[in-house]
Amino acid sequence: MKLKRLRLEQFRRFRQPFQIDGLTPGLNLFTGPNEAGKSTLVAALRAAFFERHRSSAVDDLRPWGDSAATPSVELEFELGGHDYRLTKSFLHKKRCELKWNGQQLDGTDAEDRLAELLGFQHAGKGASKAEHWGIPGLLWISQGSAQEIREPVAHATDHLRRALNASLGEVATSGGDALLTQVEARRNELLTASGGKPRGDYAAALEQEKALGTELAAVDQDIAQYRQKVDRLASLRQEHARESLEQAWVGFRAQEAEARARLEALQGIERELDLTRQQQSRGEERLRLLRSQLDNFEREERELLSRRDATTAAQRALDEATAAVLLWQPRRDEATRRYDNARRALSLARQEDTRRSLTRSLDEQRRQADAAGAALAKAEAAHADLQALHQRAAAGAIKDSDLKTLRELSARLTENRIRREASATRLDYALDAGVRLTLDGQALEGQGERRLLDTSQIELPGLGRLTITPGGTGLADLQRAAAELEDQRSALLQRLGLGSPEEAESRAESRRQLEADLRGAEAGFKALAPRGLDALRLEHSQRHAGATEAGTLLAALPPPPEQAPPAVAAAEAEEDAAREALSILDSQIATARLAEHSARAALDAATREQASAQARLDDPARNQRRTAASTELTDARAEQDALSRRADGLARQIADAHPDILRQDVERYAKSADTSEAQHRALATEIYRLEVELETAGARGLDERRAEIERDLAQAHRRSTELARRAAALDHLLTLLRRHRQALTQRLQAPLQKHLNRYLQLLFPRAHLDIDEHLGPGPLTRPSPQGEETGTLEALSFGAREQMGVITRLAYADLLREAGRPTLLVLDDALVHSDETRLAQMKRVLFDAAGRHQILLFTCHPEKWRDLGVAARALDSTRLP
Amino acid sequence: MIKLLHTADWQIGKLFGQFETDDASALAEARIATVEGLARLATEEQVDLVLVAGDVFDAQGVADKTLRRLFNALAGYPGPWVMIPGNHDAGLAESVWTRAARLQAIPANVTVCLSPAPLVLAAPALAILPAPLTQRITYTDLTEGFAALDTPAGLPRIGLAHGSVQGLLAEGIDSSNPIAAGRAAQARLDYLALGDWHGTRQVDERCWYAGTPETDNFKGNDSGNALLVEIDGPGALPRVTPVATGRYHWHDRTCALLVGSDTDRLEEELAGFGAQDVIQLSVTGHTDLAGLRRIQRAIGAASGRVRSLTADLSALRLSPTDDDITALQADGYLGEVIDELRQGQEGSDPVTAGVARDALALLASLLDEQRGGDAR
Repeated sequence: MKLKRLRLEQFRRFRQPFQIDGLTPGLNLFTGPNEAGKSTLVAALRAAFFERHRSSAVDDLRPWGDSAATPSVELEFELGGHDYRLTKSFLHKKRCELKWNGQQLDGTDAEDRLAELLGFQHAGKGASKAEHWGIPGLLWISQGSAQEIREPVAHATDHLRRALNASLGEVATSGGDALLTQVEARRNELLTASGGKPRGDYAAALEQEKALGTELAAVDQDIAQYRQKVDRLASLRQEHARESLEQAWVGFRAQEAEARARLEALQGIERELDLTRQQQSRGEERLRLLRSQLDNFEREERELLSRRDATTAAQRALDEATAAVLLWQPRRDEATRRYDNARRALSLARQEDTRRSLTRSLDEQRRQADAAGAALAKAEAAHADLQALHQRAAAGAIKDSDLKTLRELSARLTENRIRREASATRLDYALDAGVRLTLDGQALEGQGERRLLDTSQIELPGLGRLTITPGGTGLADLQRAAAELEDQRSALLQRLGLGSPEEAESRAESRRQLEADLRGAEAGFKALAPRGLDALRLEHSQRHAGATEAGTLLAALPPPPEQAPPAVAAAEAEEDAAREALSILDSQIATARLAEHSARAALDAATREQASAQARLDDPARNQRRTAASTELTDARAEQDALSRRADGLARQIADAHPDILRQDVERYAKSADTSEAQHRALATEIYRLEVELETAGARGLDERRAEIERDLAQAHRRSTELARRAAALDHLLTLLRRHRQALTQRLQAPLQKHLNRYLQLLFPRAHLDIDEHLGPGPLTRPSPQGEETGTLEALSFGAREQMGVITRLAYADLLREAGRPTLLVLDDALVHSDETRLAQMKRVLFDAAGRHQILLFTCHPEKWRDLGVAARALDSTRLP
Repeated sequence: MIKLLHTADWQIGKLFGQFETDDASALAEARIATVEGLARLATEEQVDLVLVAGDVFDAQGVADKTLRRLFNALAGYPGPWVMIPGNHDAGLAESVWTRAARLQAIPANVTVCLSPAPLVLAAPALAILPAPLTQRITYTDLTEGFAALDTPAGLPRIGLAHGSVQGLLAEGIDSSNPIAAGRAAQARLDYLALGDWHGTRQVDERCWYAGTPETDNFKGNDSGNALLVEIDGPGALPRVTPVATGRYHWHDRTCALLVGSDTDRLEEELAGFGAQDVIQLSVTGHTDLAGLRRIQRAIGAASGRVRSLTADLSALRLSPTDDDITALQADGYLGEVIDELRQGQEGSDPVTAGVARDALALLASLLDEQRGGDAR
């Protein structure tokens, strides 16, 4: 398309007619300051093509303030080898006229023809908008919108495609996209757009199929259960019938009864065994008794033997004791003789001792008496009374101690004599006349009695001698004690000068009288001779009397023996020793005699006991008893043996019968019977339960229900399968359509790509711009220090975007031209943001493009475009006529 | 002379899920109606007895209502009916029979033999030896004991059994519940009435399968009959006459479209079917878009006429001609898509080939619509 002439009238700035002609096929540069009318020219172009001449929404085309104006545009252009002339006026005179080659179209027809020729649409109502502008909208760049490329391309895509289809030999389909949309819509009814999952009817059908499948499975399970129950019922009935026939419990009961009977029989045996054992234990008791009886008999016999032994032993002991007594007798006699001798010697010794003492005393007394007599004579006159008294007192003076001793001795002698007489051997004799016997040297004649206190010998003239030894233990001692006492008393009497104890008593009495008198006389004497004189007199008297007394005593003494006796002490010692020895022997002999007595008594006892034992043994009844016991023992033993055998037999019998097992048998059979009976009853119950269950279940018509579900399921399955097939087919179809469309688009893009890259290399060497599905510019890839960088156009600087906007449009123009479509490029003050270098590059680009396309370039910076190689047309609306 | 009607395999309660709901219920309904027809037939033919050789019910668990309807359907023939259970309605501990008895649904003139005890009838005077199935499946020959069973002299001996005669039918068909070949002669039977095989079939001169009186599948084995059996007396050979009793005729058709005239033939055949027909149609081969439209039209027309028509076109390949493509105005990349689908349906993988076929048919119909829309 080549614009040749443009004429305006009553159009915005141009109230007066304004015409530009002689436009060149290539680059046309219009310069002018702001408000000079550049944009008005562009607006006129747009209005001529895009706005319906009938449109009432084009008031802005009028010059300001001129409401009656009729804005009109007249264009002459060459297109497809034809020269067209378009005349269009608005508002006041609405007219449109297109003429070419003698043909003419008016009004809307003309406008539609234009739209078809250039590739745009008219607005249905109101003012034309960018979305209607199509290809001219893309190629005609309004002031300050060069950088905007995406939107204009989108509005032009269909036109571009159509244009491209032509150039590619009609590979694209006319209804393809509509069909694709339809397929997609139908597919998306069944499948989700993104995931391809079933939805809508398809999903519902699957859901129903699944639900029916579940239901079918449930019913199948019910049926399977039902069948199982039927089978179970059959087998239960069979079992029940068999059990009823068998009646196993009856057998078990019989077995139980039998076992119980056997158990009871066994219990009888057990009782018998108990009885036998009791008998056994009683028999044992009896055996024990009998054995003890027999033992008793044996013990008695043994006892007799031991009694005999004891008697023998006792006899022997007696013999020994008697022998001992005989052994001790002579020794004792010897000891007696020795003792007598010693006693006599001691008596003599004491007599002689007394004699010597008396003699000495007599001498002393006489000497002292002479001395005292002298002193006394001096005081005798004064004390005549007292003297006499003293004389008397001295004569009868006996010491109280002596008296007491004497009395004691007399008393003991008396007692001794009584005891002796009591135990003395009495010898009565009655001798024939003329017969004279001698008893211990004393002649015995006639008749009389003697008490023999000691061993006495009786001389029987012509016949021999009788020795009589008095018996009894104490007599000899008594005899001896009597002699001793007698001796002591005699000695004391001798010493006291008394003839007898009675004399001593009387003298003691006289003395007590005298002393009383003396005390009186002394009291008188003391008045006369207060000191010592009386004592002297007394002493004189005493001495004198003492001497007298001593002489008396001495005279009273028997004559001294021919042979001088030993000393008193020696005699006493000998006497003691002899007495001691005698005493020992007495004791020995007494012991021996005692032993003899004991032995004899023991012998007597033993003999008696032996006799008694013998007597018991000799009892004839005892023998009978013993024999009887012995026989009984034998019998009892035999009986015990029999019982024992019987008990063993019974025990064995019991053990062999295994009573515990038998008891278990009873229990087991009873339980078995109970169990089998209970089972039988349970079986009947279960059969009944099953019957009821089956009746109930049978009424549900399960199989028919299953058939219904299966039928529904089959239908649901058919439906879902159909839908699945339809979905699969639609999906497949959509995929194919998309793929082929994509392939086609790629084929369409190829030439565009070619043109684009050509310009791009001038601006950005080695850069590459992708084309998207809608033929819009995609990401830009260009070399960078880091390798390559890729980004959208929007990411570029404003200047660069402007430049990209221009070269992209140039590429579209190239594409359209190749497709034989009209191209007219209008750049209204474009590239004002480009720097010198880029602008220089862009000028090269534009110059190159101008070789193929007519380009109208409007600028207010004429100096920047001087080097384009074309003359600039200066516009100034104010200068118009 | 004794005249009896021998039938079997009524399969009452069968629901035919493979059909659309109304078709299925009509077919199920027909089974009861056919039993009513049998009763009428028995009355018309003045038979002495009706023998039903098992599988009266399709399953144990039929609804009480169905059960009652069946026994009500027998009312048309007041004479004696003797039935045995088959494998589908075996005389189990709890079965459709015990239930029927409990419901008191069994009329007095119907005898159900649940045990193998011989049944001696006074009028007509004959002895029936039944071999009822008391298990779902048995591998022993229940007719084994027939020979040992003595029946009153002078009475015809009729055996009644359900199972497969050994060596007669194809291997694998109900090979359980066996019946020895030659049983009728061996057990001195005058006639052995069998059930289980749904086609009418003579086993030997004294032994027949009656087949089901109302066809229930597409096997095409001469089903839909009952047998009129005439026996002159003990020892005489029976005269057996099959009588058609079925209402619906089942057809299983496979049509291979190889040349253009095949489509014509298919159209003719479909036009020939009537209201009593149940058809299962499978079309293979290939056709162009026009052929496909014709076939679809013919199927649609037949569907409205017959009882049931199930058509399977999944194996039919579409081969649009250039004219088709032109007619469809499938220019640009649409043409490419059609080409690809056309090749795709020839692929070796049946699934993807099927998808391609479906997609092609779909595309064609969409374009058809579009064009129709344009034409308007």
